[in-house]
Amino acid sequence: MATQQKNRLRITEYLDLDLDSEQWMCNRCNRVIGPARENYKKGCLVHDRDPREIHPPLVSGAFNFSPDPLWVRIVEFYCPGCGTQVETEYLPPGHPITHDIEIDVDRLKERLQKGEFVIREQRLEAAE
Amino acid sequence: MPIPTLAEKLAWLKPAPATPYEKQCAAKIAQGDYEIGVQVTNDILDEAMEVFVRASRSYFGVSGDSMVALFTAGGDLINASCGTYLHAIIQPIVIKFILKYYEQNPGIRDGDIWYTNDALYGGIHNPDQVALMPIFYKGQLLGWGTAALHTTETGAIEPGGMPVSAKSRFEEGLNLPPIKIGENFEIRNDFLEFYTVYGLRAPAMFISDLRARCTTADRVRVRVLELAEKRGPDYVVGLMRKMSETAEAGARKKIKALPDGKFRAVVFNDAIGWTPALVRACYLTLTKKDGGLVFDFEGTSPENPSSYNVHPQAVVGHIANFMYEYIFHDLPISSSTFAPIDFLFPEGIILNPDKMAATSCCVYIGMQARNATHNSFAKMVFSSAGLWRQVAAAPGSQHTAQICAGHSQWNLAVSDVLSFSLNTQGQGGRSAEDGMDAYGFAWCAFGRAPDSEQVESELPVTVTLSQHWKDSSGPGLHRGGSGGVQQWMIHKVPNLVSLCMGNGSKVPLGQPLFGGYASSPIPGISIRKADLLKQMAEANPNLTMDSRTILEGHTIEGNWTMELIARTPKVYEEGDLLFGFSGGGPGYGDPLERDPLEILEDVKKKIISDGTAQNVYRIAYDPVRRKLDAEKTKQLRDEERRARLARGKPFDEFQKQWSKLSPPKEILQYYGTWPDAKSTGPCFRP
Repeated sequence: MATQQKNRLRITEYLDLDLDSEQWMCNRCNRVIGPARENYKKGCLVHDRDPREIHPPLVSGAFNFSPDPLWVRIVEFYCPGCGTQVETEYLPPGHPITHDIEIDVDRLKERLQKGEFVIREQRLEAAE
Repeated sequence: MPIPTLAEKLAWLKPAPATPYEKQCAAKIAQGDYEIGVQVTNDILDEAMEVFVRASRSYFGVSGDSMVALFTAGGDLINASCGTYLHAIIQPIVIKFILKYYEQNPGIRDGDIWYTNDALYGGIHNPDQVALMPIFYKGQLLGWGTAALHTTETGAIEPGGMPVSAKSRFEEGLNLPPIKIGENFEIRNDFLEFYTVYGLRAPAMFISDLRARCTTADRVRVRVLELAEKRGPDYVVGLMRKMSETAEAGARKKIKALPDGKFRAVVFNDAIGWTPALVRACYLTLTKKDGGLVFDFEGTSPENPSSYNVHPQAVVGHIANFMYEYIFHDLPISSSTFAPIDFLFPEGIILNPDKMAATSCCVYIGMQARNATHNSFAKMVFSSAGLWRQVAAAPGSQHTAQICAGHSQWNLAVSDVLSFSLNTQGQGGRSAEDGMDAYGFAWCAFGRAPDSEQVESELPVTVTLSQHWKDSSGPGLHRGGSGGVQQWMIHKVPNLVSLCMGNGSKVPLGQPLFGGYASSPIPGISIRKADLLKQMAEANPNLTMDSRTILEGHTIEGNWTMELIARTPKVYEEGDLLFGFSGGGPGYGDPLERDPLEILEDVKKKIISDGTAQNVYRIAYDPVRRKLDAEKTKQLRDEERRARLARGKPFDEFQKQWSKLSPPKEILQYYGTWPDAKSTGPCFRP
């Protein structure tokens, strides 16, 4: 796990938000992934995986315990530094990638400045 | 015709402001008296729930898929015993409707028994039925006691209460708007007769469950009156008001402590009725701003002419299941916890259909709203010191909802669900540990798998295997909980009718979290003219009852059918076999980070296969002695990380190829426009 820093927040298991530089960073290798005001997925390496590689068919035929690759794919997002699988999405082929996290960075900074929050061990604690 | 509008329903979810009398009563409640009072309401409701489970006949009732609740005189939920949280936040709609429209005619009086199961008026879907009793103390309306339970019959065009082929509400059987069914503490005989004919397929279960609801609501009423007699009515009123305010303050505090922003998730469904079809079952944008949350479902697929639609308050019910299992788990079960939460439902989406829509299979769509909520919340709360441990992937929600209808071995009419494969689903992987194996029912965290011998004694089936379902759970740093599998043999009757509701045969339901993988889809499997009984009779030494071996090796001979999980009613004969699966939970985190020793333990417990251990988790071990080769494992995992870096494409490059793809047109008939899921025209219903 990355070195703890005062203004760095854990947003997911593998994604940190550095509030000083306003960058997404890999929690495991400290690699800068991209600007915090954009979709972090734009800074990841992306792979379209046939779901049968993870969920192999157990029986023959169209209904076989495996996702149908014509219906759904596994989109894998990797940290470009260490290859950690940061996120996965099960999407129909061609379906737009989800912009899943859009933190209001300005508001977060404002609340920290006002003392509504403190950051302790990379997490937000509400001031009593 | 006062069918509540969406705006009315959403407004009625919010607690009413305190009246001067309520404020006066609440001010008199000392802290110690408050704490004792809260516990007394817990005891009243838990006692009533015990009555409910014992008095119910359907397997949903026996499994505890129910809720007993206490409301203020104005209809706001104060506390509940669950069961399922599905009904918790939305029942105020029903009481507020009765108060608004029926106070004068037919009037609300001591001894009334009210009843409803109509989702247009605030329910989930019509098999979910609720009895409501006003609690009068010396002429003063103090509150309401209610008891809600799913019964697997509604007199619809198919047995089982959830007709898959219903195209409009007119094919769903009994749909009762709120109605007074009893006076002076007695159910009216004319209503009983009216009701009975809707339950002709399974009269014993149908009527027993009705009476169980009424007697349970009455138990709440009786115990609250005892409290009023002991402490005075002002104490009861003040206690309820204070509980409501405390719950709301607790919810606001939790929400305020989260970062502001927008969090999105998308979840798909692969069946509309009997038809394999892809829909964007929930596109959720969850906005946290200041002290409030807004759930916006813009982008969800349009409504369709099947029973796979869900009315908006039932979506809220599904979200309540998530909120109370994870985020509000330490708050009283009170509708005031949803005071800071608002909802936006665009007209005509699958989550807000026309009033004539069939919604009896709504749970298969509503669950996708819950699943999307899991993912959006995970990304909102992971930074919170107080809540990050509550992060979890969605539960496994695919399952075999197999209905058995016909005559039992006792020649009694039956129509019920084989509920093992509902109540043994796997929990999603959690931020600090794995999901629980066979944790419960995604719709009812406290659901219990029924006793197999009881099932065998009441229904004409024999349970020939009951196991964890290997590789059902989603791999991850913290894997999803395993689902289960049972095999049912038609036994001691010449034949019975069986059908199956459901989804999740083509596309995994519920997205994984933070680099994990989803859980496996489930087909519908049956073996007609199976030779299992013959093998047993001949004491075949090679007979195995290991489900994976049976599936892969077809070690039971007969006419195997593998099809969509949702199956039309068919006649099965004695000796035929059906398989029932409960979905595993999706995984959390990168599988390459999972402790290899835990993976070996999973192999040993038959939760995962050697193939998954080696190909997904990338560990090396002696498959016979199950001894880990730590050095080789590290090497394999390093190689896989390098392989990811080699095959992964920069986002823009990936997008160039990806955006040219689309699913086959024939599966998009109910999706809406591709890919943004907008309506392509009006939805016509018979």
